[in-house]
Amino acid sequence: MAAGTLEQETPVYAAIAHPVRRRLLDLLADGEQPVKALAAPFAMSRPAVSQHLRVLLDAGLVAERRDGRERRYHLRGERLREVHRWLSRYERFWRDHLERLGRYLEEEP
Amino acid sequence: MTGDATPTGTAARDAIELAIEYPHPPARVWRALTESAALARWLMPNDFSPRLGHEFTFRVEKAEGWSGVVHCRVVALEEPRLVAYTWSGGPPLPETLVTFTLEPSASGTRLRLVHSGFDAGGPPALSVRDILASGWGSTLLRERLPALLDALRDGEE
Repeated sequence: MAAGTLEQETPVYAAIAHPVRRRLLDLLADGEQPVKALAAPFAMSRPAVSQHLRVLLDAGLVAERRDGRERRYHLRGERLREVHRWLSRYERFWRDHLERLGRYLEEEP
Repeated sequence: MTGDATPTGTAARDAIELAIEYPHPPARVWRALTESAALARWLMPNDFSPRLGHEFTFRVEKAEGWSGVVHCRVVALEEPRLVAYTWSGGPPLPETLVTFTLEPSASGTRLRLVHSGFDAGGPPALSVRDILASGWGSTLLRERLPALLDALRDGEE
């Protein structure tokens, strides 16, 4: 299991470990959004939501764009792709190997 | 072929848990789990030996970002129903625990795998545990991400 990749990616994993930040990423999966729209579902202040967005920005998971007086956020696919790769590898590891054990049991006398 | 390994749904918050049925008696499955040559065939090359306290490694080719070595120690051995070893796969992850439990079933053997202990290693490991446990990995990452990434390809900086 490629555990080592986690070491380089720790900021990314720390960023997505927080439920609010995962929810923000979910919201951004629907497309680019201004802070106002991102803050709406949460019972917390805009600055608090902005802080979570800052963590996501620093981890390279989202990017921001100024549109007049508004800041708009969108997902950055590259980082998410790495997370996806790592997590699926981790989870798939045992599933694949238990299936290989099944084939081994079939083949061996 | 055997059935697919499926999550059992009772996983502790810090564990990966899978169960699978094999149409073979527990004694055979036990051999496949506790003989070094058999483990090498279906899992990874190793110097496992079925002795309590035995320290061993699984070794594969170095992969991107990974030394390819897993350090282990046998911590439970109850033939033919339970074998457990510690599993330490690299600095960012804590020492985790892999437990195989065998139960006789109508068609052969029900094997349960629990890989636990992800919450023991401080923040980075905690993140992984939380991500696995939240199901977020399976909804956003598995179901929505492929389409999302296709859509993002053009607009990405």
